[in-house]
Amino acid sequence: MSVGGARVLAWDGPTRVFKWTLVLLVLDGWVSNRFGASLPQWHIWNGYLALTLVVFRVLWGFVGGSTARFSSFVAGPRRALAYLRGAKYLGHNPFGGWMALGLLALVAAQALTGLFSADEDRLIIEGPLAGKVSDATVAFASHRHHLIFAALEVLIVVHIAVNLFYAAFRRDPLVKAMVTGEKPAADYADMRSAAAGSWGRAAVCLAIAAALVFGGITAAGGRLF
Amino acid sequence: MMKKFLTISILAGVAFAAGAATAQNDPIAQRKSIMKGVGDATKPVAGMLKGTEPFDNALVQKALATYIDAAKKMPSLFPADSKHGGETTARSNIWDEKPRFDGLFARLGQEAAAAQGAIKDQDSLKPNFGKVLGVCKECHDDYREKKN
Ligand code: HEC
Repeated sequence: MSVGGARVLAWDGPTRVFKWTLVLLVLDGWVSNRFGASLPQWHIWNGYLALTLVVFRVLWGFVGGSTARFSSFVAGPRRALAYLRGAKYLGHNPFGGWMALGLLALVAAQALTGLFSADEDRLIIEGPLAGKVSDATVAFASHRHHLIFAALEVLIVVHIAVNLFYAAFRRDPLVKAMVTGEKPAADYADMRSAAAGSWGRAAVCLAIAAALVFGGITAAGGRLF
Repeated sequence: MMKKFLTISILAGVAFAAGAATAQNDPIAQRKSIMKGVGDATKPVAGMLKGTEPFDNALVQKALATYIDAAKKMPSLFPADSKHGGETTARSNIWDEKPRFDGLFARLGQEAAAAQGAIKDQDSLKPNFGKVLGVCKECHDDYREKKN
């Protein structure tokens, strides 16, 4: 398996920092809802940041490190079948890629519905754009906001379970790789070693993402605070 | 003409009295109407918190007084036979966890009383009123059915 203990880059720095920051924001989204009732801005800003990160990740999927690019990990059924027959991946395997897309899509949907959500009576917490739409739309968005979170919980449980399974039974240290960025060198099906995306580029992506999110909300007439 | 007017008035009067009587011994209607009053008193303050309405301490104090009053009256309006009916959105776990539920009303009263003295202007409104609204959310999250 590992060639003389050699290690290769699997995930560049920006991708890893993004990943664990998103984990923290999803956790904080739950915490701020459960325990931050007296500080509605806590939950609201958590949502802005989560949306900014997801937009960042979409941009990064085009210009980031090689394993972070959509072109490298968004797989069709053919690659998925080949994977099932025993291929090994440095980055996301085909199913891992689908999971990553699914998680990103759900976080995006969660943040977007949050912009239009409010408590039933619109007294306690209101997303920045809830005031711009009808009660029915707010009710619809709030309902989705709850459902999407439930779906996200399911996906997260599966995601964690599968990763632990790989680490324990398939000797593929996925969690460690997402922390250290490295994996043992091997005959991977996608690429032998990842090319890192630069921090400078990541900073530009993040700036664009923030401009899109905060600019978009403001342009739509929303108050950020 | 006069006769018709009289008949209608009497009928209306009877209907009104009957309505009032039901509300009086109908805990579901009573608690909903108190909560509705709480909501109505909160509306202008919610606007102040968002910055869409100017700070008006009289309205803030009125809302807080409404909460304190509601916090006193509400706990007795959940008798065991009022779990269902009357389009209540109260969740049935209230009756399994009545002490905690009542405790939240006690906290609502305490936070509101603390806020009465603490709120003087727009700056002191946000943190202090936020604490009170936090209790509303805590209780609604656990004990009030979501309509949507
Ligand atoms: C300890 C629990 C609790 C607290 C605290 C609480 N509520 Fe409620 N609230 C309820 C329950 C239960 C209902 C549903 C009553 C029913 O349908 O029988 C409700 C219903 C409501 C309603 C809908 C009334 C209607 O028209 O039917 C509004 C509005 C409301 N609450 C506002 C508030 C606000 C604002 C606060 C804080 C200032 C608050 N509530 C604090 C438990 C609580």
